[in-house]
Amino acid sequence: MSNKTCQPISLLGKWVQENNELVNKWKLQEIGGNTSIPGQNQTCLRGWSSEFNKLLRKIQGVPPLADHTQLELSVLYNACVCAISQSQFTEAELLLLQSTERALQMTGNNTLASDPNVFWREVLKSVGNTALNVCIVHLLCLQWAIWLATCQLNMINDSQMDLSSLFETLGDGLGNNRRSESSEIPLLLMDTRKLVELLQICTLIAQGAERLSEGQSSEALTGLQAALSLAAPRNLIAYIHLLSGSCLAQMGRPQMALQCYRNALETDSQCVCALYQSMLIYRLLGNTQAEIEALRLLHSTLILTSATESALSSVQLLSPSLLLPSQSLSSLLSVPSALSVLHELAMRCVLHGRVSEGVEHYLDLLATLHSEDQHGVKAEVPLLPRLPELYLEAGAALLMSRLPADCMVLCDEVISKTLELLPEKLILEHQEERGESETRDVNDSVAVLLWAGAAYLLQGQCYAHLKDWKQAVTHYTRCINLVVKVCFKKRVTGFQSQISSADMVVKNGTDLCILKKLKGLSLAGRGISFTQTDKLKEALRDLQLSVQTSPECVGAGLWCGEVLWRLGRRQEAAACWEKTWSFNKESSFEVLPLYLQEALSGPLLDTMELRQRVQGLGLT
Amino acid sequence: MEGRCAVEIWTEFGFSGTPFTTKLKTGLGTDVFLCTGSDEVYVFNTEERKFTARMAFTVSTYHLCCPGINFESTFSVFTVIVLVHEWSVIHCYTANMTLHLSRIQSSSSPAELKISSECLVVGEEGALSLLLIGSVLLILSYRDASWLLSLYKTPKETQSSIYKKLSSFSLPLVSGVVNGDSKLKTGVRRRPVLICVHSGHTTSPPLSSTSSAEATLTASHFHLEPVLFKLLFGIDTALINSPVVLCGLPDGRLCFLPLRLPGSQLRFLHNLEQPIVFVGASVTMETDPGHAQCLVVVGELGRVVLIRKNKGGPEAGCSAAGFTDGCLPGPVVCSCVDKKHLYYSTGSDLLVLDLTKGPSESEVQERDEETSLKLAAALQSPTSLNVCRIIDLAEPTHSTTGEIQLLGLSVRGQLQRITLPLGREDARLSELPSTQMGRNVKDLLSAIGDVCERASVLKTSIKSKNQILRHLNQVLNISFLLTASTNNEEHLSVQEKPIRCHAMARWSRLLQKDSLSLTCVLDNSSPYVLEQGWTLSITVFPLSYSLSAGGESSSTSFSFPLHNFHPGETLEVSLPLAAGGGTSFPMTVNCSLIFSLKNVLGEEELVGFTGLQSNCISLPLNTLVVDWLHALQVNSPTASRKNTTSQSDVKTDAIRAFLRSHQIRYSAGGESVINQEKEQYSASVWVSSELLKDTLKLKSSDVDQPGSKSVHQSICICLLDWLFSEGHGGVKTGYQEDKFALSSSVVCAQGPEGETVKLTVKKANVGEQSLAKEEPLATVEVRVESTSLAAVCGLHHAVLSRVQTLLQRAPERAACTKRVQNLGLRQALQRAEVSSEHLLNQTKTERTRKSPLFSNGSFSNTVLNKE
Repeated sequence: MSNKTCQPISLLGKWVQENNELVNKWKLQEIGGNTSIPGQNQTCLRGWSSEFNKLLRKIQGVPPLADHTQLELSVLYNACVCAISQSQFTEAELLLLQSTERALQMTGNNTLASDPNVFWREVLKSVGNTALNVCIVHLLCLQWAIWLATCQLNMINDSQMDLSSLFETLGDGLGNNRRSESSEIPLLLMDTRKLVELLQICTLIAQGAERLSEGQSSEALTGLQAALSLAAPRNLIAYIHLLSGSCLAQMGRPQMALQCYRNALETDSQCVCALYQSMLIYRLLGNTQAEIEALRLLHSTLILTSATESALSSVQLLSPSLLLPSQSLSSLLSVPSALSVLHELAMRCVLHGRVSEGVEHYLDLLATLHSEDQHGVKAEVPLLPRLPELYLEAGAALLMSRLPADCMVLCDEVISKTLELLPEKLILEHQEERGESETRDVNDSVAVLLWAGAAYLLQGQCYAHLKDWKQAVTHYTRCINLVVKVCFKKRVTGFQSQISSADMVVKNGTDLCILKKLKGLSLAGRGISFTQTDKLKEALRDLQLSVQTSPECVGAGLWCGEVLWRLGRRQEAAACWEKTWSFNKESSFEVLPLYLQEALSGPLLDTMELRQRVQGLGLT
Repeated sequence: MEGRCAVEIWTEFGFSGTPFTTKLKTGLGTDVFLCTGSDEVYVFNTEERKFTARMAFTVSTYHLCCPGINFESTFSVFTVIVLVHEWSVIHCYTANMTLHLSRIQSSSSPAELKISSECLVVGEEGALSLLLIGSVLLILSYRDASWLLSLYKTPKETQSSIYKKLSSFSLPLVSGVVNGDSKLKTGVRRRPVLICVHSGHTTSPPLSSTSSAEATLTASHFHLEPVLFKLLFGIDTALINSPVVLCGLPDGRLCFLPLRLPGSQLRFLHNLEQPIVFVGASVTMETDPGHAQCLVVVGELGRVVLIRKNKGGPEAGCSAAGFTDGCLPGPVVCSCVDKKHLYYSTGSDLLVLDLTKGPSESEVQERDEETSLKLAAALQSPTSLNVCRIIDLAEPTHSTTGEIQLLGLSVRGQLQRITLPLGREDARLSELPSTQMGRNVKDLLSAIGDVCERASVLKTSIKSKNQILRHLNQVLNISFLLTASTNNEEHLSVQEKPIRCHAMARWSRLLQKDSLSLTCVLDNSSPYVLEQGWTLSITVFPLSYSLSAGGESSSTSFSFPLHNFHPGETLEVSLPLAAGGGTSFPMTVNCSLIFSLKNVLGEEELVGFTGLQSNCISLPLNTLVVDWLHALQVNSPTASRKNTTSQSDVKTDAIRAFLRSHQIRYSAGGESVINQEKEQYSASVWVSSELLKDTLKLKSSDVDQPGSKSVHQSICICLLDWLFSEGHGGVKTGYQEDKFALSSSVVCAQGPEGETVKLTVKKANVGEQSLAKEEPLATVEVRVESTSLAAVCGLHHAVLSRVQTLLQRAPERAACTKRVQNLGLRQALQRAEVSSEHLLNQTKTERTRKSPLFSNGSFSNTVLNKE
């Protein structure tokens, strides 16, 4: 530096120089964006932190001097910024408080309160309007940042007055900070005006999120509206829109919420959470077309961002994400992974009649899973279903779009993987509720059995589709054989007893429910296949069993009647049909997996014709 | 012939490696990579049997910590871990070496490569192990008390060097497996094992054949039987054909991570409870050659876990993964597997274990205990290959003739090819052709050479251990000798100790300053040699102050190392006692022998003995007392006269004589003044002359005394002589050497601080003063006179303590009567001791006040008498 200009550099001058050199080096690096080597940033930060701490220790090695105070506080500011950027909040706070106390000893104010709020108030009072005021205000900003980052919003609320007075002070003092580039003034790592702006908006966002989670939507909304007037980075403005939207959604105004989400997206196209939230609203409104559209958009955006995001990672001190750690906000901002979204999209398409589209998406999903580029992402909030289930769903979709051969390939894959793992006998303990949080075992034998059963069922349905009734019967039989291996055991207080499945109260979504459905469907399928090969006796037995097992199975009921009709038991047939029609078709549609839908069961009977037959029967 | 194998030393490096820093890795085709743990890496071609490249890491601020190498056929990536000093954190830097390697292959002479910081692409803090799977680079690091597995995407095109971080998985460290504080060290010392497990056959093409990287897989990649794979890692993993990363951690845990499964996490598979050294897959069947049936995990202390598929029983139906534990003899330094065997080195031997010999699949289901016993038996009997000091092994290869060849790196830096005997069982049956015989002889010779080397190493080790044992035995003998004599016979006099010290106090004049020096003589009359490692330690401290509460009194220690101090030898050492005053007498001199274990065991071995508080054994020898009488400078005119007359004495040199005479003249002049004015303090001790006759006669008989003197006079002189000359408290006075005989019963002397003292011995009768019923006693009075109170006190004490020893020496017959005396004397002695101390303190303050008690000049007259 300028060693030659000032001949005997004083200690103070040397330290200022050292500080400024460090800051300038940092700025150079920031501009240069030296990020080609991953993992470097954090280390760099650590390095800077240690450098500043070293300098601070040097300065603090001498007793507090009035001349040194400004420098000391500036270096303290820089050291704390580094510490906070590394999420070392407690260390930073301790350093901040202790060093401030030390620096202020020369103002004669030795007894400072332990409560941080009172402490800072006293500190501000004791410095008064001196040159130190600006430095202290800077440090207070850092305290603010620490509170924000550690979710101590109440502390911020308590000192709201002081904080708001900060802005004015800084507004005046800002010129001073940058007034000259002379080496006499210790430089700061981070521009304080930018910091204050960031802190302000982040505080508002955090408060909004907090209120939203407490259910105070309207209050949150007013606060957020005020925040919109502030100057802030684009992504934070988008957050405000997003939060406003969530408030409105909570207040029961979905259309307005959608508008807000749209605003968020327009402000920041990377704000995928807005897209996700709008998708959820569309789903709530029952607008499937829009929902599917939103999912599609979400998926493509996620794929795009994942490709670009890591390249953009830069060295940033005090990033918004660091200052906004609140749980309520992060749950709002979280977006499922691209894979989950793709799965959702595919399933929605299939469920809402856009089967061919759905099949495309399923195939995309499977291809992604198999690709070399796919790598285990960390556990996400809505987990993807287990892969065999995914295969079966895709298979079902393929079958629906009349591609039984492809479906069979997928089923074969599942069967081959589960083959050696199938238990000879399985006792299913009836549990009233199976906690979702229950960790998924690597190989849950019940699940394995159900997968294999479903795969056989699907294969049977494929053969039925191809009108290869003999093969269909074989596969349905395999499914039935698997399903009957399961014994039920109900846990009654004190003793255990084995009971038949019919006595069980069946809840949707449980293994038991799936098992019953599987049994019903496979029996019905076999029955129908027998009907086609004119084995009416066997057909009747199977169909009746099927109706018994799962009464909601419409196809089985109708075919049961048909078989009875063919056997000449017309009255019984009519009764059977009537019973089936009368059965309240309360849809267990959503809960059951895609591959256990009844629509795949095989040849359908024309209900009109059947009704006519019944009417004819009634006439005669 | 069994178990003998051919060892061929291919090359030798000039280093001695440690098992943790040196690494041997097979690389591309016939290349072997060798990391020495320093800043160099060598590439060795096994076909040409020569070095093809040497890589030097000359990065300015980086230090090579331990390189790990990884290879995939199509894009060869060479990675190293280096230590970075920049911010004093450990970093992993990955150097992409693709371009460099192509250059090596073309050139014929060994290429020298300098690796600079431009090659560094990944900075990972605390990195320990690396693995490359396809285009994914995995780095396992240890940071903030948890293991962190980071995944990086390697760039597809070589132009860009950006490694994109995909994700990372962390696993908190479990404590308790390895004891607490050493954990930190071992965590870094022993590197975690990272391998990759694939499902199914090597030949099976991947579902998406976009990448050709899977064509050949190297050391850290294994193919596992699909069912076992499914059982261990789940159906989901098997469905998408995802490779699985297996981590063997130094805390004993075996964890796995399905690489491509969405939402997967590091999961726990097994705990070995000792640092994991090796994880691999082995046991391939003839019917099913593509994949291994068994996963092998080896721990540092020899624990082995074999993970195989168990066929379920008739009621269970499905198969399950079976974990069978066993224990190999000896520690495991490094290990590798081939299709049927597990090879491992214990550091002293290379052993091979046939994994197919274990319980077969069908047996496993029958009885667990039986099979585990069987396995334990199988594991206990590995075959030794008689190759020592292997610290790392490369993958075994099969030569065209079917021999198994191992590549090993010895601790001395030798790269060895170890060729295993072909089919050990049936080799004996086949008739060998002559060429084969020649080879066999060569192999044999080589094996003998190897064994010879091993034997010589062991011999030197045994020799040094023997030496240490012998040394320690000697030390033990000596300590027993010395401690036994103190413990059992406490009353035993100093003379009885076989190793003891005696001393001589002597005044000398150096640089115009009188100083009293003590010459200690260590006498070894024991049958043992005091070898190197023994130190004579002498501690000097004032007797009176050592007991006082302050304890601030200056105690000085001197130590003199001994070098082979043989029996019968003496060692003379000198140490300063008082230089011109400032020291208070009497002084205690503690002699002890100290033995330091450091000399025998060496620094690092001592660390192992955690039970030892200190590394020293201290054996007290004896305690000597230097009192006022020893510290006196006698200047009696008779002595000087005697001195001048006996010219025959060679030892008195002229200068000393001159100095002494000069001194006498000066002090004589002073004395006269003092006599007139200041000689105020005096103390007397009366000793029964009968007692003196009893005891001193024996002593004085050998002193050449002219018989003309009267009996009493002779007794007086005898007593005075005895007081000065005899080695009281193990210390002799210097003038004894001068052999001066006291002719008069008055001795004038100078104290250590220059005080003039006068000792008078005369006959006195104390009977009158004593009780009348006994006849008057003939006694001898020892009178001490001086201007200095301290001198009088000190001398009085000294005389009393000597007289006490005299009493102890009194003949047995008088013991009954003299016990009382003894008692009285002891009390008197104590009184004198206390009073001298007390007085010294008091006089300091009261001298100015002139206390009436002392103003009369005579303060003490202790009567020693029969009561």
